[in-house]
Amino acid sequence: MTAFWNVLRVNTMMEFLELRRYKANTISLLLTFYIIFVGMMFGIQVVGDPAQASTNTQYVIVNYIFWYFGMMTLQSIGWTISDEAMKGTLEQLYMSPVKPWKILLSRLLGTIFNHFVLVVVLLFLSMATAGEWLNVNPVTIFPILVLTLAGMIGTSFIVAGMALVFKQINAFLQILQFIVAGLTFVPLSVAPFMVGAPFVKGVDMTRQIMIHGYTLADFSMGDYAWLIGNTVVYGIIGFVFYNACEKHAMQKGLLGHY
Amino acid sequence: MESIISVKGIYKSYKKRKSSEIFTAVNDLSFDVGKGEIVGLLGPNGAGKTTTIKTICGLLVPDQGSVTINGFDSLKDRDKALRHISAVLEGNRNIYWRLTVYENLVYFAGNRGVPKKDIRRKVDELLSLFQLQDKKDELVNNLSRGMQQKLAVSVAMLADTDVVLLDEPTLGLDVETGYEVRDLLRKIARDQGKTIIISTHDMPVVQDLCERTIIINAGKVVADERVEELLKLFETSAYQIELQEPLTDEQQTMLLAQFPIHQWEALTLKVNLDQEQDIFKLMDILKQNETPIETINRTEINFEQVFRKLVNEGVAS
Ligand SMILES: Nc1ncnc2c1ncn2[C@@H]1O[C@H](COP(=O)(O)OP(=O)(O)OP(=O)(O)O)[C@@H](O)[C@H]1O
Ligand SMILES: [Mg+2]
Repeated sequence: MTAFWNVLRVNTMMEFLELRRYKANTISLLLTFYIIFVGMMFGIQVVGDPAQASTNTQYVIVNYIFWYFGMMTLQSIGWTISDEAMKGTLEQLYMSPVKPWKILLSRLLGTIFNHFVLVVVLLFLSMATAGEWLNVNPVTIFPILVLTLAGMIGTSFIVAGMALVFKQINAFLQILQFIVAGLTFVPLSVAPFMVGAPFVKGVDMTRQIMIHGYTLADFSMGDYAWLIGNTVVYGIIGFVFYNACEKHAMQKGLLGHY
Repeated sequence: MESIISVKGIYKSYKKRKSSEIFTAVNDLSFDVGKGEIVGLLGPNGAGKTTTIKTICGLLVPDQGSVTINGFDSLKDRDKALRHISAVLEGNRNIYWRLTVYENLVYFAGNRGVPKKDIRRKVDELLSLFQLQDKKDELVNNLSRGMQQKLAVSVAMLADTDVVLLDEPTLGLDVETGYEVRDLLRKIARDQGKTIIISTHDMPVVQDLCERTIIINAGKVVADERVEELLKLFETSAYQIELQEPLTDEQQTMLLAQFPIHQWEALTLKVNLDQEQDIFKLMDILKQNETPIETINRTEINFEQVFRKLVNEGVAS
């Protein structure tokens, strides 16, 4: 456990260094967020019927944040693997006595943590700028968010496994953007059959909280069962799939750049 | 000597890209390495050196056979086996170019689960051993290839394992830097009592650093000897003959048939003999045309010649 903590620490550090080293990238990312948030919030006040517009805009903001995190989470390890296999560092990661999936998970948690901090700060900055406040009750949101993210992380190991085997996954990652957009933007009330798709249930519940002011008590047992079931199932699928891909990669000599 | 690495009958074949032809990279390879030994794994391009090293590291699953490290199976007990070995696999490509020297060391140490307080001490130690203090905060991207290679070696040393595997540690370095890395490796070998396996086709590196060499070709062990034994094997039978006239075509054909390992240029003939008596056969060839001889000398054989001979015809013994 302490070993894992050390691994988590250096991997978070590495992701942080990356943000700092590629300042231009990071700053333009932050600006984009800020402009989009503020723009949408001012939109609430300026455009037509405030009651209606407000809900719509909040809806878009929450979706946008989820889409961003969904994309980041799903792509992150996959991208790390294909990049590092090509550059030659992946094998060095595999030389650690700490299991590779734990290292990759640490990298991902580090990324999520760093970006989470940035996005939350920007969100508050934007709300202050626009004077428009979304319902962000951390006590209510946090548990749902953690479970939703855990489901996303599980799914991301499926992408990671594919990256181990196929290496060139850029085309796939591009298509993935649209899939993630579909999964985050379409509400369950419109497409109830999507409840079993990765992280859709969690995103939907968070929307209820942030936009319609739900509390944890407002959800039914069924809601929680779907949320937890979804997370567990995709967690297991991701883990099993990744390990199978890893085994295959080690048999075919795919960890290096050969 | 107690063995720390045991490679038992490993096979590995790859499917060739594009065609579906099967290519056997490692073909029934077995050897043991004792604690504290420094072994050179020598072989021409494509001999299977990297495949062997990666199999020992448990990065590659062999089709057959197994590897144990300190008694731990490199696949079944991967985590435990990895506590005893570290490796530099692709020279300067094994480190993060976008991080600094210091960040690389801290990262890789932490990734093995080493706590923060132990990392700093170890990193400082290594920086001074490898004379990288000045470059501590330099991005790896901006370092010379030699420096990058040194950092890669220090990343492997950081793990402080009993065994260190180095795949082509001097590849792509100029002569000067190659020497520097070699000196460094010698120092490590001498001072730290580690077991070291170096794969290379840089013969002087083996001659200089290793006690024992395993020569592989086409995935098979063709020789497994102490370096000095190998050299001795050939010492007595290398001759350099200066002639006054060139050899005729006929003589050259005979020479090639009887002494495949020879060099002939500008009136100088260098020949390796399998047996001392073969000198008479050589003389017979010269006698044919009564080629006048200027001088005959026994020569120092260098390792390169030994290596080529072994690779060409397998070991005689
Ligand atoms: N992942 C792989 N897939 C297919 N073929 C491979 C793979 N890795 C190695 N090979 C092939 O196996 C053979 C042995 O390769 P290996 O890298 O082990 O040789 P080597 O002795 O290290 O050679 P070099 O001196 O060039 O590094 C080569 O012909 C190589 O093309
Ligand atoms: Mg090689």
